Amino acid sequence: MNNFFDMKMLSCGKNEAFARSAVATFALCCSPTLEEINDLKTAVSEAVTNAVVHAYSEAGGIIELLAEVDEEARTITVSVTDFGCGIANVEEAKEPFYTTRPDDERSGMGFTIIETFTDEMTVRSKIGEGTTVTMKKVFR
Amino acid sequence: MDLDFKIVGNDICVKLTGEIDEYTARSLRDDLDKLIDAQGFRSMTLDMQSVTFIDSTGFGLIIGRYKKLRQKRAELLLKNVPPQVDKVFRTSGLYSFVPIVK
Repeated sequence: MNNFFDMKMLSCGKNEAFARSAVATFALCCSPTLEEINDLKTAVSEAVTNAVVHAYSEAGGIIELLAEVDEEARTITVSVTDFGCGIANVEEAKEPFYTTRPDDERSGMGFTIIETFTDEMTVRSKIGEGTTVTMKKVFR
Repeated sequence: MDLDFKIVGNDICVKLTGEIDEYTARSLRDDLDKLIDAQGFRSMTLDMQSVTFIDSTGFGLIIGRYKKLRQKRAELLLKNVPPQVDKVFRTSGLYSFVPIVK
């Protein structure tokens, strides 16, 4: 069976735990291992952190979280969309340790962790319009 | 995020409990910095056994404390690192700077 949920939430740190827990619970129909669920939670947390910290900064905004499962293929696809400032150079932003906020103890490892912890990641971004990070996780 | 600490000789062992992410990192950073600024120890050991989640914000926080301690000629150590936390630390290369002790 294919299933999905689509929700909007305020861009704030407090919603990160809610977002990753919602996606993890939704993925349980695919009987993932504990490690796979933890990988998914970590990757979702990174994408939501990017929206909270970089897309909107202090101003805040809306984050859209779309999750789609294919139970037969044992796959979940998660998209995290913000309507914030956008990323000028996506390829540069994906480089390990690249950050625009080093003075704020930002590690610049968010995209690297999403890429490592999922099977596929795409980033679409337009300056002034926002960013969508899409990740696909296949449960073995 | 809860924090308990115990001082043994020149080491302060800080037991962390809960999730470390964007929402919890700020207060944890302040709490750890208060300990670092107040105490005259040679090493700080973070006991991670009861940390149920961490992401790269937590990694940034750990690296930040490592740098702060280094300025005070003290070292940062980790112990009881659970699997999810370990995977984030390994991916980020944290162990090149902060070793695990038993």
